[in-house]
Amino acid sequence: MDRLLKIISQSLKAVKAFKLRTLFCILSVALGIASISVIVAATEGAYKKALEIVAMFGPDALLVFGGGEEARATGQRMKTITLDDIETARQAFFSAYLVVPMTAMRDVTVSHRDKKYQTLIVGSTSDYSRAWTWPVVQGSDFTEEDVKGLRNVGLIGQFLARELFGDIDPVGKYVLVRRIPVQIVGVLSERGTTPAGDRLDDRMIIPITTLMRKLQNETTYVSGLRIRFYDQKNLDFHAEEVRAFLRGRHRIPEGEPDDFTIISPKEIIKFLVALTGSLVVFLGVTGVISLVIAGFVLANLFLLSVRERTREIGIRRAAGARKRDILFQFLGEAVVITTLGGIFGLALALLSSKLLMYIAQFPIYFSWKAFAVGMILSWIVGIGFGLQPANRAANLKPIEAIRG
Amino acid sequence: MPLCLMENIRKTFHTGAIDVEVLKNINLRLERSEFVAIMGTSGSGKTTLMNIIGCLDTPTSGRYVLADKEVSHLSDDELSVIRNEHIGFVFQNFYLLPYATVLENVLLPTLYIEKQKDNREQQAVDLLQLVGLKERIRFKPNQLSGGEQQRVAIARALVNDPDLLLADEPTGQLDSKTAEEIMNLLREMNTRGKTVLVITHDQNVAAYAQRTVQIKDGTIIE
Ligand SMILES: Nc1ncnc2c1ncn2[C@@H]1O[C@H](COP(=O)(O)OP(=O)(O)OP(=O)(O)O)[C@@H](O)[C@H]1O
Ligand SMILES: [Mg+2]
Repeated sequence: MDRLLKIISQSLKAVKAFKLRTLFCILSVALGIASISVIVAATEGAYKKALEIVAMFGPDALLVFGGGEEARATGQRMKTITLDDIETARQAFFSAYLVVPMTAMRDVTVSHRDKKYQTLIVGSTSDYSRAWTWPVVQGSDFTEEDVKGLRNVGLIGQFLARELFGDIDPVGKYVLVRRIPVQIVGVLSERGTTPAGDRLDDRMIIPITTLMRKLQNETTYVSGLRIRFYDQKNLDFHAEEVRAFLRGRHRIPEGEPDDFTIISPKEIIKFLVALTGSLVVFLGVTGVISLVIAGFVLANLFLLSVRERTREIGIRRAAGARKRDILFQFLGEAVVITTLGGIFGLALALLSSKLLMYIAQFPIYFSWKAFAVGMILSWIVGIGFGLQPANRAANLKPIEAIRG
Repeated sequence: MPLCLMENIRKTFHTGAIDVEVLKNINLRLERSEFVAIMGTSGSGKTTLMNIIGCLDTPTSGRYVLADKEVSHLSDDELSVIRNEHIGFVFQNFYLLPYATVLENVLLPTLYIEKQKDNREQQAVDLLQLVGLKERIRFKPNQLSGGEQQRVAIARALVNDPDLLLADEPTGQLDSKTAEEIMNLLREMNTRGKTVLVITHDQNVAAYAQRTVQIKDGTIIE
């Protein structure tokens, strides 16, 4: 042990002495380690973000839309779910504590005085805010009476509020939704954007009755519903129950596809992972390639170094160094250098991920995992690519080495 | 028992298709505390012989006993240990590590000792004092003159307290006055009990030895 420590101290001296070799190896290893640890951090960040989004979406909630997978893929949402479906579901699912209908209209022109904006109008009940865990921060929610009475009241998202009212408090003010004046009674809290980049705060919520009768001339069909269950552990099971329930009500024969789509928190994670996936693959490929290149740079510079230092090896052998003492010294040099490269690479990763987060709003999260992966990979590169040159050094014949 | 006993040592180098027999039937005895010079023309096999005596190389055939141990058939690792414990090398071109300090150079053989002892550094400093370089211990080799570098090399050769000091033309790169200093130093080591073997072309250098062995075409001729 004592001997090994002394040998490694020789490695350190050589690392310090052969500065150019050290510099080039550190730089190339650092690049590889940086991109790989950014990947690890990005994956973790995406996962964390997914959990956050799920928490926001509601880990106990299902969202059901009219229209099957195909309709969804082509971007249209068919109206297949009726108010009746929802009312029956409310009575049928004891395991659910909230069943809320929703119906939406996109690109509806709204105006306040001379300000016009196209926004999303959502019709729902007074449970909307609860259904989405989306609190009203100014004014108040609309009430059951407002829904029953088809009243022209509404909640406004912060983005839309800023577009229409600027800094003025919108509560109590009127907004013209097409021809209908709607009084703003409350403002929803700020939610930001979805991972896909949609502004969540660009919307208005009005009673579903008002929307259906006065804007859509519709009595039966809605866009969808949201259900929240008491026990989120069994959400997958509940999703199946809801599927069976709706298939039964819509009389869909066995073998036919659903005419609705159930979105659960799991699918949100899937979506986010797919989104992150492209970056991970890109960085992964770059990272692996640059790490392999770093390895070859290291191996070649070390082979060169072994050739240059043949005499040194001979001197050490004459002084009593065994083959493995030489081996460990050169391996030690490689590992010390790649460790430095790893540390440097991690610093680089921290820096570049700050940049990525700033430019692309990409969720990156550095935990000990990214650091551990970075360090272990740099050791693998050091040992893996340093082994051959170190072996060559160790196996030089003493009398040939000493001749230089 | 003598320190070194060589019987019928042969050494053949295989270069490509041709075999060159460099040492032919060498018989050599070195007593403890002797000071011996080996002389011979260039290419006569002196360095080859010294490499075998110093266990840097192995003979093709023959018997070699060093410090009461048969060494002609030892493994590479075992030979390394023998070199570390019993042999100190001094070379014509000094062969110091350029990136290490004087003290670190002297300490080099101590890195490879099987059973580590303390006070190695003190011993190295004492040796540097003995060779007159105590003020230079933090210098790098390229800050020293040739004579000084050779003194460092001698201190390095002695740091593990070996039985045998092997010097291959130790004064070959030095002017005659410096050469004299180096030879006086080697003689002093000899009077302190070290067995010294010097290879040289120079009659003046050989004169320091108690006895001279002549080698010609791979055989000892007197
Ligand atoms: N590794 C080797 N392979 C082949 N031939 C060798 C090898 N080492 C030495 N020789 C040959 O052996 C002969 C003796 O070499 P050696 O170095 O022992 O001579 P020397 O007496 O030390 O000469 P010098 O006084 O010039 O140093 C030379 O002809 C040399 O070419
Ligand atoms: Mg020679």
